[in-house]
Amino acid sequence: MRGDNNKLWADVDWMLVGIYFLLIIFSVSNIYSAGYDPEHSGLFDMGTEHGKQIMWVGISVFLGVIIMFLDGSLIKKLSYPVYIIVIVLLILVLFMPAINGAKSWFGFGSFGIQPSELGKLAACLALSTHLSSMAPITTRLKPGFSLSYVGDMINTHWKTVLILGLPAVLVLLQPDAGTFIIFTSFILVLYREGYAGNILLFLLIGVIIAVITLIVADSSFMLPFLKIKVGGKVGIIISLLVMGLIFFILIRYFVLKRNRSPLYRALVGSLIVAILFVNFIEWGYSTFLEEHQKERIDLVVGKIEDPDGKGYNINRAKAAIGSGGFSGKGYLQATLANASQKHVPMQSTDFIFCTWSEERGFIGSFVLVLLYTILLIKIVSIAERQRAKYTRIFAYCVAGVFFYHFMINVGMAIGLAPVIGIPLPLFSYGGSQVLTFSLLIFILVKLDSERKVVLQ
Amino acid sequence: MKNVDNRKYVIALIFMLIPLIFIVRLFYMQVVDDKWKERAAQISENKVITYPARGIVYDRNKTKLISNEVYYDIRVIPNQTDNPDSFALAKLLDISIEEYTSQMNKARGYSKRKPSDLVKQIPPDEFADIAPELYKYPGFYEVDRTLRVYPKPIAAHVLGYMAEVDSGDIKADPYYKSGDIIGKSGIEKSYESVLRGKKGMKYYLQDAIGVETSRFEDGKYDTLAQQGESITISIDAEIQEYGELLMQNKRGSIVAIEPESGEILAMISSPSYDPNLLVGRRLGQNYGALEQDTLLPLYNRSALARYNPGSTFKLLNALIALQEGVIDSNATFPCTKSLVGCHNHPTANGVSQGVKMSCNPYFYALTRKIIQQGKFKSHFKDAAYGLDVWASYLASFGIGTGMDTDFPGMKAGFIPNTDFYDNDFPSKSRPYGQYGWAYSTIYSNSIGQGEVEMTPLELANMACIMANRGWFYKPHLIKEIGQNGIPEKFLVKQQTKVKEKHFRPVIEGMYRVVHEAGGTARRAKVDSLDICGKTGTAENFKNYDGKRHQLTDHSIFIAFAPRDNPKIAISVYIENAGFGGTWAAPIASLIIEKYLTGKIKDQAKEQRILDADLMPIKIVKKKV
Repeated sequence: MRGDNNKLWADVDWMLVGIYFLLIIFSVSNIYSAGYDPEHSGLFDMGTEHGKQIMWVGISVFLGVIIMFLDGSLIKKLSYPVYIIVIVLLILVLFMPAINGAKSWFGFGSFGIQPSELGKLAACLALSTHLSSMAPITTRLKPGFSLSYVGDMINTHWKTVLILGLPAVLVLLQPDAGTFIIFTSFILVLYREGYAGNILLFLLIGVIIAVITLIVADSSFMLPFLKIKVGGKVGIIISLLVMGLIFFILIRYFVLKRNRSPLYRALVGSLIVAILFVNFIEWGYSTFLEEHQKERIDLVVGKIEDPDGKGYNINRAKAAIGSGGFSGKGYLQATLANASQKHVPMQSTDFIFCTWSEERGFIGSFVLVLLYTILLIKIVSIAERQRAKYTRIFAYCVAGVFFYHFMINVGMAIGLAPVIGIPLPLFSYGGSQVLTFSLLIFILVKLDSERKVVLQ
Repeated sequence: MKNVDNRKYVIALIFMLIPLIFIVRLFYMQVVDDKWKERAAQISENKVITYPARGIVYDRNKTKLISNEVYYDIRVIPNQTDNPDSFALAKLLDISIEEYTSQMNKARGYSKRKPSDLVKQIPPDEFADIAPELYKYPGFYEVDRTLRVYPKPIAAHVLGYMAEVDSGDIKADPYYKSGDIIGKSGIEKSYESVLRGKKGMKYYLQDAIGVETSRFEDGKYDTLAQQGESITISIDAEIQEYGELLMQNKRGSIVAIEPESGEILAMISSPSYDPNLLVGRRLGQNYGALEQDTLLPLYNRSALARYNPGSTFKLLNALIALQEGVIDSNATFPCTKSLVGCHNHPTANGVSQGVKMSCNPYFYALTRKIIQQGKFKSHFKDAAYGLDVWASYLASFGIGTGMDTDFPGMKAGFIPNTDFYDNDFPSKSRPYGQYGWAYSTIYSNSIGQGEVEMTPLELANMACIMANRGWFYKPHLIKEIGQNGIPEKFLVKQQTKVKEKHFRPVIEGMYRVVHEAGGTARRAKVDSLDICGKTGTAENFKNYDGKRHQLTDHSIFIAFAPRDNPKIAISVYIENAGFGGTWAAPIASLIIEKYLTGKIKDQAKEQRILDADLMPIKIVKKKV
């Protein structure tokens, strides 16, 4: 097999690779714009952020090519050693000097690397190895709410909890709450593999809806085209109904007839539950909570200005995005989300979406969101075509991590998610981040390219 | 297994659901709601106003009366300074160390990153000393702005002064922002909207701390400040200056008008002040002193002061009597001094002699014929009717009506009517009441004493009416606005109720006043200029220490010249100077001569006026 180049590249999913490079191109051009200063505009200056980004992409692609020449089974074999090395790095980094209040960097001159990013990769690899070696799920799918069930779960899953818990706790010690939250994304993998019941999934969706409800509940919206002012809660319910309608249409035209009726029932049921839930959250928030408790929640969801000025940040970020309008201000024309103006903080990293949206407008932000959606669906479809359980689990790991980053980062910028400092994958400026997500993609591409030869 | 396999749909659904929420939200934020765009503009854009230079003001001969001069404000950006030596800097800027410290504290209190004014309006000559040193002090820099400058120190009252807007100005016109300057009086005020020009606007992008970083859209939306339009006013600077010279050490007023146009040639109120005293920083220093001066230099007597017109008023009574037909031009009344005092003179035969000799009993009798026309049996009813007829004539002369001219805050004189004596005189609480008075009560008005009051401008306008034989244009100061003409209202001929033919005997009298032996204003005669005039001498009283004192009479003269095709009409009113023919008449003649011939022949006459000091007020008689 080795040396047979035709075979090596034959089953590579070029669409995934294409999406990857499209994101990278968008990213570099956008970082260039975010830091654009008409007086210093060198394109390949390694001192600039876009220059460093290009360098990291280069390193990542180089590693990616190496990965392509490795044997897929080697990756699987290396999973635990890589995991152990990263854990050691995560422990060592706690002894490094703190930067911005967190001990999360290994510095090499002007370049630095964050092992917490690699922690995600390590967790993906180790979790895939571990779960793929477990016996297939058989009968233990009816969860009860008894203590013995919980005990049973822990008994079976202590290794899973350890693999995910160790890096999660270590990044929390840095402290890096953002990355810690990312580790909860593996719930999706466990759910897909049947190790976590629907309960966990509902919990996840419930948290998302609750957070959005709390953030927008007492703001008001003008309904598009109607000029009717409605409360935030009504806005959410209308959004839910609109989404329900879209899913109804999707089901109506894309699902086989015999499969439709359970989906319809699920759709109606979840809509009703979701709407009731929104009302419940809003009612509970406004009825039962004392003023200071509300304040604390508002602080957590980023609704009021806290001492660190997150409220200020989000305000500026939203102004930047909103001012983009339908078609944007044009490339290199951002007036708010430009580093030289210092309006939007953490311009090229956490709030990179602002620059994009301000310059490209709704068209641009729509395209970018769509691109991530296509990427996610693509990864899911890749996962589902695998015969190798390892590859499928790994693919879901990648999808989950991407999804979380995307959801929280963009949600934060547009005021739908709490302010948590995590990058937009492959799009924000940041070497460790680009390296990690590139490796995730390349490993997935490699494993996927062997889907036809490997039978495990 | 099938059950678990279906979970891929749930995951895919979630992967599509969240982006869908984002798309909806983004659409709302970027396309539907303008709130964020407004906020973005508020955050990132900054408007900077650029101030235009005001319009230049010229006199009728295109001499600059008001021009602009560049001044410098020193500004400071506190966080860009490097702990300057405050003593040295204060010395350089010529301010006290206390002022420096307090201004710096104020600047820091306002903003450490944005500029504040440290010293305002440094004149160019002083700035020349500062400029070469200023670069040594980072964070300090100059901004230039223009202020008014008056090449000739004349016509202060006419030109007016500028000061910062008050809350009323801002409320009245949203063009003004706090700190702007506005014309507060004179033509600076009346032609403010023409002179002020148009503010320019520069749009900048500012960064998060409010520092300007670049021009917004490369200045696409910027507007340039437009200088105000220049205006030409009707004042003749030479006459104005000469009049002010003659009026030195005198209290009073001179108003000269071109009869054929109503253009005011000179408007002098004495004492006056150098208009350059009230520019910029100097305004604050000097205004208080001028305001507290007991001689009231800020008070524009020519447009605001109301005086008894004295004997000059006899001209009007004569005209009204002729028009009403109660006398003819040959009417003769004896000089019986029993009712009103008079000087010694032969009996006046006819109106023109009455005017020439200014015989008080003559006009007492003549005015009696206007007021008591015998149309009613009741003496009182008859007087009430006659007085209103009389008053209506005077209103047609523009007296007491407020002439809607272009001088801000101008006052009107006063002409009593029936209503006034019925309800308001001698006091509102105890008036004469209806039919409680007759001519015998109010006869003082016949000789310009009593209740009639006129401003020097109205007196000059009266001279205009005499010169024009019955009509006038509303007196005004404007001659040209930019390339355009003047407001329509100044081009409408105002017709009085007296026909032209009745002016002949009266003007004949005015000519005789100056030219014939026995005339009251022989001092006003200038060879070949045919000056026609009328003297006035007004008694005046002042309450002081609870007693009513009679002061030296006011000296009054109105005139026009030449007799045919007159070019100038004038009123001169000198407070507490004595007989009208002694001071006001020669002053008027000097100005007429200067205006018509450009020089003065009789140097002695001029020198006598220049040497006269008529400032001291003498008490003539004490009355309890």
